[in-house]
Amino acid sequence: MTTSTIATGIMPNVTEGCVADAATGVRLATRSDESDLRELTSLAVQGDRTAIESLLGHLRPMVVRYCRARLGRVSGQYHIADDVAQEVCIAVLSALPRYRDMGRPFASFVFGIASHKVADALRSSVRSAVPTQDLPDGPDEGPGPEETVVRYIEAQHARDLLSRLPDTQRELLILRVVSGLSAEETGNVLGMSPGAVRVAQHRALARLRQLAELESIA
Amino acid sequence: MRTDAVLDALARREPVGGTDAAVRLLGALVVDVDSQRLSSVSITPST
Repeated sequence: MTTSTIATGIMPNVTEGCVADAATGVRLATRSDESDLRELTSLAVQGDRTAIESLLGHLRPMVVRYCRARLGRVSGQYHIADDVAQEVCIAVLSALPRYRDMGRPFASFVFGIASHKVADALRSSVRSAVPTQDLPDGPDEGPGPEETVVRYIEAQHARDLLSRLPDTQRELLILRVVSGLSAEETGNVLGMSPGAVRVAQHRALARLRQLAELESIA
Repeated sequence: MRTDAVLDALARREPVGGTDAAVRLLGALVVDVDSQRLSSVSITPST
């Protein structure tokens, strides 16, 4: 993708030196948040750069988490998933001028794009060389190797079981839990009422539990 | 704990007790996804 394909004339720029802790910024949207987001989206569609940056800053962490949950790690890193998330952001920016508010939240538009990008990435068998991070200068303050491995195995197990759920159930749990969308927002993305989301999420969790228990017996 | 409340707690990265295997796995996935820091995005004028 080149800058010429971006009608807004701006490029998202990943700044490695300026990072946000992934554990922050996860909160469920309130009705006033949705109203603010709608107004922000309206300004962004009109080309307001500050609004575009705010909108992207709001949505990107959710998109990254979604892509990480769906795609997992390659060589222990999330580079592929993060690259796909970046592609989603670029696609969203490209499509912004053509976006028309049809009554559904902007997030449903974004996660629609994300879902397609993830599907493309899953179809692609290309797993090219993965860049490694620079060696740290000081001691690693993160969890030790044993804890890291246990966490990785459990997360991968979760992904394996989620992949065996029906598409809607899998998407629902990832959007609700990993991306941190409310039942209302998730319903807007999946085209379901909040009530239908609550029924479906109960079934999805029950199905996941059943799969986990079957695996523990086998 | 109702399913909605459990999922909301997981989404907020709050500890969820109990022995539910599905909840434990979702919790592990959340921890793993959040374990690598997210790069921030800024937008700059294209050249």
